[in-house]
Amino acid sequence: MTDAYPPVVQETVRVPTARTTDPEALAAALVACASGDRRAFERVYDGLAPAVYGAAVGVLRDRDHAAEVTQEVMVEVWQTAARFDAARGSARTWVVTLAHRRAVDRVRSEQSRRARDQRDLERNVAAADRDVVAEHVEQLFEAAAVRDCMGTLTDTQRDAVVRAYYGGRTYREVADDVGAALPTVKSRIRDGLLRLRDCLGVTA
Amino acid sequence: MTDRTPPQGGTTDPAWDLLPAYALDAVDDLERRTVERLLAVDADARRALGQYREVAAALVPDVEPPVGLRDAVLDRLDATPAADRDPGARRTRRRWTVVGIAAAAVVAIAIPTGVAVHEAGERSRLEEQSRTVAAMLADPQATLVTGTISTGGEASVLVSGGRALFTGSGMPSAGQGKDYQLWRSSDGKTMLSVGIVHASADGSAAVLFDAPDDTVFAVTVEPAGGSKQPTSQPVVALTTSSAVSGSRA
Repeated sequence: MTDAYPPVVQETVRVPTARTTDPEALAAALVACASGDRRAFERVYDGLAPAVYGAAVGVLRDRDHAAEVTQEVMVEVWQTAARFDAARGSARTWVVTLAHRRAVDRVRSEQSRRARDQRDLERNVAAADRDVVAEHVEQLFEAAAVRDCMGTLTDTQRDAVVRAYYGGRTYREVADDVGAALPTVKSRIRDGLLRLRDCLGVTA
Repeated sequence: MTDRTPPQGGTTDPAWDLLPAYALDAVDDLERRTVERLLAVDADARRALGQYREVAAALVPDVEPPVGLRDAVLDRLDATPAADRDPGARRTRRRWTVVGIAAAAVVAIAIPTGVAVHEAGERSRLEEQSRTVAAMLADPQATLVTGTISTGGEASVLVSGGRALFTGSGMPSAGQGKDYQLWRSSDGKTMLSVGIVHASADGSAAVLFDAPDDTVFAVTVEPAGGSKQPTSQPVVALTTSSAVSGSRA
């Protein structure tokens, strides 16, 4: 765990809030949000907004859109904190799940809006967009916890996972994009995730 | 630990096969519902999903958000109570400014009849769908078309922003060995399958799906499991008013 700031001393001078990255502390803070604890929410924001923003920027590749999604998600976190169940997973995973879904929804509604407005142009743009996804995602992975585990995937597994998660594409669209059969793409995604799980030691 | 993920060869339940893609938000709306039906009843599936999601979250790096965002969020909290503090009061607090069949549509999406919604992820997914539907209903450009099903009951389609919500009420059983199948079309000729419409015991059904530029929606009765192309005349066909080509810039 890395802290961006030195450990908290005491007293509240104008020292930046110490960023909590301890999973248990974040889970506790999230639980406290459910009873309306604003200070707890500030800890949640400081600890988890970067993950929310990271998920949004990864999918949307646009800082303004990502900031809007982050704002929506953090308000949603405050409103729906009672639904978080620490027994089912970490606080970080919970907020990232919310953020990713919202970002993907935004990508898809934007795609269908554009598709409706100017279908042919969109097709070309979409194809060009997808080519830069991989490159963009490479940079993200350098900072992600999964960095050292990506090497355990085959190229096709890695490609399928990246396109599905960061391309905002359904696995059917991924199959279209890479010219592979649906079951093949499903297997690549599943096997890729299982390898990452084993490498990361996820046992939740 | 016990490996609760499905065996490498796949399983007999297609919903299990969709779990990894579902965890990456890489399924369409119909598949989403298929997976959520599984999650509602299968604790092993929920555990497997938890693992996949934990992995997915590890794909995400922390990126410092813009400086002003923190204050913007905190300002918004002042206007926003933590709504879930009393979960029981949640739905009644929602201000659905909708009437009639549209309101029924929201309820049909939010509370699937006969499904025990205990799981947090499932609940939040349903809330997400409710939000999507609420946004569709709030869209002044949205189109709502209703019609009578020839074999009994009412059907409606709400179209907004590339999404469509099909709802049915009072639908009789499709019959032994038969299923209702929903189709969409952008030209009234080429019919694309949206999927099987599962009506609940009270004859209500709701299907939220992508409809990029479709203007015709139809339900046919097909052999159980559905057909690749319609094999019978529609029991209901709904055409949205924006069907006139060129009406959208």
